[in-house]
Amino acid sequence: MIEPVQLPDAAALGPALVLGLTALVVFVFDSARPHEPDRGLLAGTTAAGSLLALGVGVWYMIAGVGVPEPDGAGVISLFDGQLVVDQLALFFMLVTAIVTALVAIASYDYMDGHAHQGEYYSLVLLAATGMATMAAANSLVTVFLALELASLPSYALVAILKDNRGSVEAGLKYFLLGALSSAIFVYGISLVYGATGVLQLDLVAEAITGETGQHVLTGNAHDVAGHDGLLGVGIVLLLVGIAFKTASVPLHFWAPEAYEGAPAPIAAFLSSASKAAGFVIAIRVFTTAFPVEATAGLVGFDWSVAFAVLAVATMTIGNFAAAVQENVKRMLAYSSVGHAGYALIGLAGVGAGANELVLGAALMHLFVYAFMNTGAFLFVALAEYWGVGRTFADYNGLGRRAPIACVALTVFMFSLAGIPPLGGFLSKYLLFWGSLQAGMLFVAGALVVNSALSLYYYSRLVKAVWFEEPVTDHGSLAQPVGLYAALIAAAVMTVVVLPGFGPIADSALDAATAVLTS
Amino acid sequence: MEGLFTFAPAIVLFPLVAFAITLLVGRYLPLGGAIPGIVATGGSLALSLVMAAAVAGGETTNELVYTWFETPEITFHFGLLIDPLSAAMLVVVSLIAFLVHVFSLSYMNAEGETGLPRYYAGLGLFTFSMLAFVVADNLLMSFVFFELVGLCSFLLIGFWYRTKSAPSAAKKAFLVTRFGDFFFLIGVVAIAASYGTLSFAGDASFVTAAESAIDSETFFGFDADTWVTITGLLVLGGVIGKSAQFPLHTWLPDAMEGPTPVSALIHAATMVAAGVYLVARMFGYYALSPTALAVIAFVGGFTALFAATMGCVKDDVKQVLAYSTISQYGYMMLAMGVGGYVAGVFHLLNHAVFKALLFLGAGAVIIAMHHEQDMWKMGGLKEQMPVTYYSFLAGSLALAGIIPFSGFWSKDEVLYDALIVGLSEPLILAAYAMALLAVFFTGFYTIRMVRLTFHGEPRSEAAESPHAIGLPAKIPLAVLGVLALVGGAMNLKPLEELAGLEVAFLERWLDGQGVGSVDGLTYHAYSETVHYGHEYIGGPEGTVILSAALSLGLALAGAGLAWTLYSGPEPTRHTERLGSLRDLAVANYYQDEYQVWLARGLTLPLARASDRFDQTAIDGVVDGVGSVSRFGGERLRRLQTGQVTDYAALVILGVLALLVVLGINGGWFL
Repeated sequence: MIEPVQLPDAAALGPALVLGLTALVVFVFDSARPHEPDRGLLAGTTAAGSLLALGVGVWYMIAGVGVPEPDGAGVISLFDGQLVVDQLALFFMLVTAIVTALVAIASYDYMDGHAHQGEYYSLVLLAATGMATMAAANSLVTVFLALELASLPSYALVAILKDNRGSVEAGLKYFLLGALSSAIFVYGISLVYGATGVLQLDLVAEAITGETGQHVLTGNAHDVAGHDGLLGVGIVLLLVGIAFKTASVPLHFWAPEAYEGAPAPIAAFLSSASKAAGFVIAIRVFTTAFPVEATAGLVGFDWSVAFAVLAVATMTIGNFAAAVQENVKRMLAYSSVGHAGYALIGLAGVGAGANELVLGAALMHLFVYAFMNTGAFLFVALAEYWGVGRTFADYNGLGRRAPIACVALTVFMFSLAGIPPLGGFLSKYLLFWGSLQAGMLFVAGALVVNSALSLYYYSRLVKAVWFEEPVTDHGSLAQPVGLYAALIAAAVMTVVVLPGFGPIADSALDAATAVLTS
Repeated sequence: MEGLFTFAPAIVLFPLVAFAITLLVGRYLPLGGAIPGIVATGGSLALSLVMAAAVAGGETTNELVYTWFETPEITFHFGLLIDPLSAAMLVVVSLIAFLVHVFSLSYMNAEGETGLPRYYAGLGLFTFSMLAFVVADNLLMSFVFFELVGLCSFLLIGFWYRTKSAPSAAKKAFLVTRFGDFFFLIGVVAIAASYGTLSFAGDASFVTAAESAIDSETFFGFDADTWVTITGLLVLGGVIGKSAQFPLHTWLPDAMEGPTPVSALIHAATMVAAGVYLVARMFGYYALSPTALAVIAFVGGFTALFAATMGCVKDDVKQVLAYSTISQYGYMMLAMGVGGYVAGVFHLLNHAVFKALLFLGAGAVIIAMHHEQDMWKMGGLKEQMPVTYYSFLAGSLALAGIIPFSGFWSKDEVLYDALIVGLSEPLILAAYAMALLAVFFTGFYTIRMVRLTFHGEPRSEAAESPHAIGLPAKIPLAVLGVLALVGGAMNLKPLEELAGLEVAFLERWLDGQGVGSVDGLTYHAYSETVHYGHEYIGGPEGTVILSAALSLGLALAGAGLAWTLYSGPEPTRHTERLGSLRDLAVANYYQDEYQVWLARGLTLPLARASDRFDQTAIDGVVDGVGSVSRFGGERLRRLQTGQVTDYAALVILGVLALLVVLGINGGWFL
């Protein structure tokens, strides 16, 4: 096997590069026959490209990229540290690639009969490229650029059903709020730059901890402590920008609107991959650039406490709102807000003890979530494909009409609720255990109460498909190959996570440990 | 894993593959899907013999196969432990599983049963679970497969699920053994929590950990030796349930509702043996606790007698065998409890062979009798079914403990071991006395069964013109019949003691002398740990002769009594002369009644009370939370206006609020 270190360093970005190149290939295919696109070719290329990116990522992981030498190949740093490829980056590149593949396969059927096929798949791939780059971004500039690379295609994707009012309206709302939050985020970056004089994350940390009164690069007089207010405001604004991307309180408003209006595979894509990418930025920026104690000493507040408050608020608001929805897609949108709250616990734990465990558990949860949440949205995609309707009542009795898909749905719902022996149980259990270890009793309590509440609305859907009588039709439903394949793959993975728990948890914990100690 | 042991997992996996095949495509296969099972168990048998040969060649293995998951404190894993004990057990289990599969061709296929793929799939799953249980290298794995064999037992007892009695018997077997397993599970958790390991062997075993903890550590406020006793007894709960020891023996007679080959395989030779095997597997642990050993010995001795008395009055041939099974497992428990590890295992192996033989023989009789099981309706089958008769007779004489059949040698060794310990321990002496008395009853009910079934005049039409049985039934009977005759040669301990010949092969095998062994899992290692002293009457030789004479004499007396009482063409029902004593034994000492009373009178009201608590208190709180959250959710919904300008305003307000709060806290504005 060729060791990745023998390749040019830029090859370390392999998964992101593969995704980007595939986007260009899709462009070429599309421009060859712009008027009668070959759906199978486009979707197949997209899926193949994502799977190739996945393969490359897995290969790097096995080859030990990011694992400290001499056991592994070490962290690979590119462009003077603007991008880094470590275990955390690879972990999230994998998540992105998996979700992209599932979405591409499912879109083959869902997008049947819609215009803009070529644009659709290449935008998905470009957004995925942005997300994969987010995973590796190590400077505030690259973070922002990658974030925008992921966001701009997303806005267009939400609005891609151009003759559908809901889709266009959702796209516009998403874009406006996204632009606002991007503005806030970039303003935060400028303030942090103003206070510290640097943009690269590890240098920001150096400036904050150093207290040398000198600029870390040039050595000129530059007193960080004198700009504590500036730095503090900057950090808060960064936090707000990240809250938008992860659909956390108080910037979660857009999520239900955008997910509801967007094509269901895109909702799956945004709520799984895009959210995960937001988290990788949150983890990278806050754990690398702002060491908890030094930052707290300087600006007067402990950002991990802020994350704890956000975590509890996000999970509570998300779950409470989900409980009263009648529209299934909206329920899933709010539930995805709730899950962002669970994942935020990982960052809340960084200030307390046992932080690798909590952060690792959060990574683990995002991994499992990528499958179960994508799967759940893909079921909605399937329901929209069938045209059965959007509310809980419309789903009544689907169990008899499409049993296989409904078994998959049941797996997703129970896994999202955190019922053993499904994947969602283990990651939630680890989060619970980790937050107890870290002494965050309140957060742990909120996690349990919210999980219990979530069981109510998840099982409501399960009850609807299996136990309620269908309103009108009793016939069996079509079984589109792509959607079914994606759905079943996601369901199988949600279950298989249990026996494969060891390696996945290990790599999540390793990634968490590495990012915390670097 | 090295050398031949590379193939060891295949022993376990063959039947699993057969299970999968039979389950998925069984209905398209010839013979109702019997062939995959026969091939798989045949393969397992061949490989088991290879493993035994490897062990005989001085090798053993104790290897990790799959790590389930690990934490800093403990690792849960699946592994293989193949030492003399498990190798011997592997051979016996796969042999009997193979023969039972073959026999089923006669018992099930030839009788035109439906649902055969389900039957063979069940047998395959059972064989897989049982073999995996045998090779388990840790207590958790044991527990997992202990439960799986229980599940298979449930499925197979209830094979004829359309009848009324079979599902009910299946449920009973499942629930009663589950009651014991509940304690077992607590024991597993307790052992894992206190020693941080569940392995049976090696330096990191819980036995080693317990040994070093004794006299120095305390667990949960108990001295280490008390704690060993507590955890040992908890695990023993599972053993008592599975090996049908008093008071959890009630399920086994009902389990006879299942097809007879199933009774032979599961409810006589193997699954019921799992309990005793578990005690043998972790004998090093029990050896640390004299109290636990005494409990095991006493329960065993009592069960041996108690079940034997019930066996004397049953009229159904399978019922007699069921009670004799309970009784014989009592002997094994007694042997374990007095430190007679070799004797216990010896009897376990012998019993597996001759009891499987008896059940298969009974199965052959049942086929011949058109599914009539009442012995009073049989008679005179001797001339018409010679193969069945002579093999059944060999099994019976082994069961009764008549020299030179296998049962004599092992039962004698059990009683001898109990006697030499009992001479200084009154409690053990009592257990010994009960077991000794049971020998008489054993001889009695065994010969009564043979007499009523095969001798005299036919007492029904079916007995006059029995159905012919096929070759697949005769071959297993013949094989097992020979083994029942010569099995005792495994361990001719009395000859070694008296004549100085080196013929105690099994003892040397289990002690790892000249064969492979795992440190700490040998007979002399156990003997060093067990605290019992030995006393003799007239020296060791005198005691051997005395013990053998006593047990053989009592067995012959019981057998002779039955032989004369039930002689002649039309035997009379002599047990009726016992009057109310017989009624008591026929009613199984009202064991079922009091257990049903416990369930109805105690458990049910308790369950009702907790249900009421759950309905009112817990559900009340939950409903309250639900109402609050619905209300809160409605409020939140109103915030979501759909107006993008509102959202933008909320975002800005939120940011400003955060800045003000944090800014005042951090003193930025000063």
